[in-house]
Amino acid sequence: MKKNTGKKPQARFQSKESVLFFIFIGIFVLMCVLSPQTFLTWRNLQSMAFQLPELGIFALAMMLVIVSGGMNLSITFTAALASIVGGVVLSTMTAAGMGPTITIVAGLATFVLIGFLCGALNGVIVADIGIAPMLATLGTSTLFEGVCLNITKGGAISGFPDAFLWFGNASVLGIPFPMIVFVAVVVASYFLLERSPFGFKTYMIGCSPTVTEYSGINVKKTLRIVYIISGILCAIAGVLMSSRYNSAKESYGSSYMLQSISAAVLGGTDIAGGYGKVVGTVLAVMIIQVISSGLNIFGINRFITTVVMGAILILVLTINYISSGRKASSK
Amino acid sequence: MKVPQRLKQSREFGIFLILLAVCIIVTVAAPSFFSIENLFDILKGNVVLAIMAIGMLPVILTGGIDVSVGSMVAAITIIVGNFLMKGSDNILLAFVVGCLSGAFLGLINGLLIAKLKIPPIVATLGMMSIISGISLYYTNGNWITGLPKNFIDFGRTTLGSFYQQGDEMIGLPVQLVFLVFVAVLSWFILRHTLVGRGIYAIGGNRVSAERVGYSVDNITVFLYAYEGFVVGLAGAVHTSIMRQVDPNAFNGFEMQVISAVVLGGASTLGGYGSVIGTLIGVALFAVINNGLILMHIPTFWQKIVVGIVLIASISFDVTQKKYWESHNTKVDIEEA
Repeated sequence: MKKNTGKKPQARFQSKESVLFFIFIGIFVLMCVLSPQTFLTWRNLQSMAFQLPELGIFALAMMLVIVSGGMNLSITFTAALASIVGGVVLSTMTAAGMGPTITIVAGLATFVLIGFLCGALNGVIVADIGIAPMLATLGTSTLFEGVCLNITKGGAISGFPDAFLWFGNASVLGIPFPMIVFVAVVVASYFLLERSPFGFKTYMIGCSPTVTEYSGINVKKTLRIVYIISGILCAIAGVLMSSRYNSAKESYGSSYMLQSISAAVLGGTDIAGGYGKVVGTVLAVMIIQVISSGLNIFGINRFITTVVMGAILILVLTINYISSGRKASSK
Repeated sequence: MKVPQRLKQSREFGIFLILLAVCIIVTVAAPSFFSIENLFDILKGNVVLAIMAIGMLPVILTGGIDVSVGSMVAAITIIVGNFLMKGSDNILLAFVVGCLSGAFLGLINGLLIAKLKIPPIVATLGMMSIISGISLYYTNGNWITGLPKNFIDFGRTTLGSFYQQGDEMIGLPVQLVFLVFVAVLSWFILRHTLVGRGIYAIGGNRVSAERVGYSVDNITVFLYAYEGFVVGLAGAVHTSIMRQVDPNAFNGFEMQVISAVVLGGASTLGGYGSVIGTLIGVALFAVINNGLILMHIPTFWQKIVVGIVLIASISFDVTQKKYWESHNTKVDIEEA
């Protein structure tokens, strides 16, 4: 867990997160040098800041669950279900001529409620019934997708009040509002995961649920909370997504599912659980965003960008394996 | 009728009962379900899923997972399609090319997982991005149509004659031969070879398997390459059924394959599962999908039913297992 505390100062610079930080700086500078006219412009930076928060929030929702030794394959459909049910509330209340304030408050409450319920369902199935997280969330993701399709009948929900569009499209003092939400989520996740008893329990469960149980910790309750928080984070991403698209559909954001696993793993999270830092995941998301924007600016085919992302994922893990082997042999 | 205890306890039997119940419900609600035409349609429509699920089974038995199968089979159909268009119209060669390129892709997965110790889900996730990116870049999302006539005729071949449709006799689709081949081969490997015992041993306990003397790395490489080979065959079979290639036909297919294997009673923690169970799982999937269509239930319900059946059957399984364990006086020391 806290591998760096109490060690020599230079050990701090060898952590996975600091390596990621230097990679991020390196790639950012490289992009700036290669394309100063387009990459290093206020417009491009702002557009990156609009795109990044959705993947970022999904990645944190995924990372939290992975740290607890689980997996959440239902994140994108949780977000879609929250968007669709929330969207129905927003559009019917608008059509009924209700005031924008009450409509938006009710709409946002619905988003969060659905995120909570989806997360709670996952949590109960994983913690109380004891199904392997990957299967449980595979099942619930199919279920959520089915419910989404049943509400929309394959179409999209639209007709949101104009004020709702503000969440995904407005800027405050030049900073995109989604970015402000993302920063708030990052800070909250940091304190929750790395500075609270709940976070400590989550890491412990990720290392060994049996030992945690014998330490007198309520593993089931903690796991339920982990999945509920993950569900609520998905709902927040859903708000940003449906506001940006001005509609809600079950297929929106489905590509984020595997991307968020990639981001979490690139950020140093151990896929088997027990290790993972918020800052690492955030840095990984930033690296992914800079690379995809950069390749886009250079006019590289977006399918090749997909190939590059896959190659980076495998490369980073290969380097991890080689360097961990070297450290182990030098001890 | 007395059911033997061993059979009653097996997961396959429970899933078979669910399948039977679903079949009866569907037959009562829509009598057209139980006709040879419909059963043959189901068979032809799910033969690719069945082949791929059997390929995925050994991977899941060792506690691994492969999310790259959807992109792999799409890539194979593109390779086979291009080979038929630009190389030769030899059917046998087309299947060999499909199987070999599948085995090659699977081999890469296996090497990444066994030699570089990358966790299976991450390694195959990376491979999925790479394979699907290259496929889409190469085809630009365009379909390949106008495959050679002899290949199309081969895909339409039927075995025997069971009923009359118009003025032609309909028999079993030829693609079934490949499913039987893969099922028998996988069953033989899993039940009657050292590698097969090794696969179950790794799934049961990796460390013990290593200590007993199984070469865990080599078995891992073999089983991912074997899976690739089977997926390659599935790609060629799919091309023969569809008679054209759609690079986007398999988006999200990996989840269907994994669901079918899991529905068939395999444990994703490894160590338990069988070819028969996987086939029953695929059949359950197929009957639910087909039944909903025959009963005129909107397709939107399909996902809900599949999701509920998936969760319910695994929950039932886990609860049952807990029950048997709590009624066992044996003290089991769990690995921490």
